[in-house]
Amino acid sequence: MEALHQHRLPREGKAMNCPICGRVAVQQLCLYHGEAKERVEAAYPLWVKAYGGIEWKDYLDSVKRNPQTGQWAKEIAEFLRG
Amino acid sequence: MVSGYTLVICEKPDAARRIADALSGGTSRSEQVSGTAVFRFSRAGEDFAVCSAQGHVYGVSDPSDERAVYPVFDVEWYPSNLIEKDGAGAGRRISAVEKLAAGASKFVNACDFDVEGETIGFNLLRYACRGKEREALRAKFSTLTTEDLVKAFDDLKPQAEEGLARAGRARHAIDFVWGVNLSRALSQAPLGSGHRYRTVSVGRVQGPTLGFLVRREREIRAFVPTPHWKVTGVFDHGGERLTAGYAKEKVGSKDVAEKVRRDCVGKEAVATSVRKSIVQVGPPVPFNIGDLQKEAFRAFGYTPSRTLQIAERLYLGALISYPRTGSQRLPPSINYRGTLERVGKIPGYSALVGEILKTEPRPVQGAKVDPAHPAIHPTGERPRRRLDSSEAAVFDLVVRRFLAAFGPPARRELVDITLSVGEHDFRLAGGRTVFPGWMERYGRHAGYRDIELSPVSEGERLGVVGVPVEEKFEQRPSRYNQSTLLEKMEKEGIGTKATRAEIIATLVGRGYVVGEGMEVTDLGLSVVETLDKYAPSIMSTRLTMDIEEGLEAVEEGAEGEASLLRETVRSLAGQLAELSANEEEVGKEIDSALTSVVTKALVLGRCPACKTGELRMVRSKATKKRFAGCSNYPTCRNSAPLPQRGGIRATAKPCQHCGWPVVLVAGGRLPWRLCINTGCPGKGKP
Repeated sequence: MEALHQHRLPREGKAMNCPICGRVAVQQLCLYHGEAKERVEAAYPLWVKAYGGIEWKDYLDSVKRNPQTGQWAKEIAEFLRG
Repeated sequence: MVSGYTLVICEKPDAARRIADALSGGTSRSEQVSGTAVFRFSRAGEDFAVCSAQGHVYGVSDPSDERAVYPVFDVEWYPSNLIEKDGAGAGRRISAVEKLAAGASKFVNACDFDVEGETIGFNLLRYACRGKEREALRAKFSTLTTEDLVKAFDDLKPQAEEGLARAGRARHAIDFVWGVNLSRALSQAPLGSGHRYRTVSVGRVQGPTLGFLVRREREIRAFVPTPHWKVTGVFDHGGERLTAGYAKEKVGSKDVAEKVRRDCVGKEAVATSVRKSIVQVGPPVPFNIGDLQKEAFRAFGYTPSRTLQIAERLYLGALISYPRTGSQRLPPSINYRGTLERVGKIPGYSALVGEILKTEPRPVQGAKVDPAHPAIHPTGERPRRRLDSSEAAVFDLVVRRFLAAFGPPARRELVDITLSVGEHDFRLAGGRTVFPGWMERYGRHAGYRDIELSPVSEGERLGVVGVPVEEKFEQRPSRYNQSTLLEKMEKEGIGTKATRAEIIATLVGRGYVVGEGMEVTDLGLSVVETLDKYAPSIMSTRLTMDIEEGLEAVEEGAEGEASLLRETVRSLAGQLAELSANEEEVGKEIDSALTSVVTKALVLGRCPACKTGELRMVRSKATKKRFAGCSNYPTCRNSAPLPQRGGIRATAKPCQHCGWPVVLVAGGRLPWRLCINTGCPGKGKP
């Protein structure tokens, strides 16, 4: 999960909008993309175990491409991939 | 005006005609009073006038009727023609009842016997007949057959039970206060951001129902699938290929799945267990309205509101019993044998009925009870007119379900075979119906499939032909459809059997959900997010359920409607104050969602010129005409003219000839598809 925090998020300060969808942000992302980010991070160890190891970036690419992935999870995967 | 007659008030014109026909033996004469049909006749020396409402002809409103004003807690009942745009018909019907009441000496409420029917009758007797709601008699019936109607009028009851009407009136008042205040709060808020007025409504049941949809939508959109592997064994059984699933349906690791394959390939399997069993499958319970709506959705794809409308038409045609019932029970009072004999005379059912009548008919009963009406069943009357295809389908479904309820249970043989390759087990499961019982009567709706397995004996050896391993991903949760949402509302105890379908239709109409898959729009998400933040009780199922319980207590006479109304107003007032204090924030959030919804509605498709922009419907400032322009303007200047009349909606597929967007133009008799490219090579081709 080394690259997890390399993506650019707006600095904290006055009211900001989600960099992905423009909705009001709660701690850098909007409520929905924040939730999706948690899900993407939580699923990573399961993928590592399932494949016997997978790089974070490869994981994000796979999540982004997977037709079962939800819209917000896809957007956050793309955002985290940078 | 003739004096001294009995005035019968019905809920709908078709019911009035049927009642007049039944009581007069077909000799009633029709006349027009205030532009509505009234039926007159004499019966056993008594003169009758039968008139009708057309559903609710009175409604709740606030005296100010200003959409900018809230909170509003003082409400009154008004004739619908004074408070609704399309209420002119209600005015004529009230006027007819007023004129007829002046000459009547006896009053009978013959509206549907449920909360809504009781409220309609009560209001007409109180307002149009000037306080006759207590002295009126009540005709109670569950079908519009001559037999039931004559029986009901021979046994008129005193109008003593006001509980239903009081509960109905309280429900209308609570729902109005709830809806009007929240809708005004949410609709007014975005005006501060300069947005055009648009109704953003939240009803008492609508809010929590939208909440269910939004919670599911959030799960779907944030869903991350996890991988697993499906291992299958292909075995040779005397030249026949048998395919069996690995005992562990989902293998969570690729290495483990590959090991299973390596362990099994080239080996031999032994049938370690062959189990056969016979199970009895009982008949389905009789239909209540929710069950009928779900089954019609499953069988024909009809929405709950469509099924309800069809069922009402069948009821008004005296073909089925009253459909807005919660009961899953058929009491002996419906006369099983008599009804079955009549149904047997309808073409297509005689053989099925003949089988049932060989013994004493006794139906299976469900758990749900409704004291007012039995489960939905056919009356045995033949259709007097040709039914359209949807009416015929629902009628057949009701008849078959009724016949199926008389059993007997079906019997199915289930076979479960385990094939073992060393430590690895593979399973084969099959089943077939050995005695159809009720399934024969329910026909294709029974929904059981036969899977026959070739006979394998215990200890038999089979060669392993292959062990394919497939990578799979967890499926994301499904969206609710109209049927599963109805089921969820029933399970959570919100709404009533009469209103659930309408609430679902309103969610679609307000633009909170789109498509058959009920995908929640940005507006729907935003409304729920805003209310969760500033007025969480509004979205709580608990509060709505408490009110439903309160209404039931009013119905049973255990609680007064005034105290329930006061309690509701108290709960609502605090939440409204919170919304009002945060009007600016609320306005911004709703405004942004409204903008997104409006913008999406204007998108016609991808721009075929720049391939990155979208062609949107735009109105020229100079000519005021609408046209399609690229969102990348001025970088991309691609544009196309659009028809100036009729509604325009985008379609999912671009033009097969040129790749430009195809739109659906609604105007005239039928909507038509149009490729917006004026130079499309497909123009003029069939």
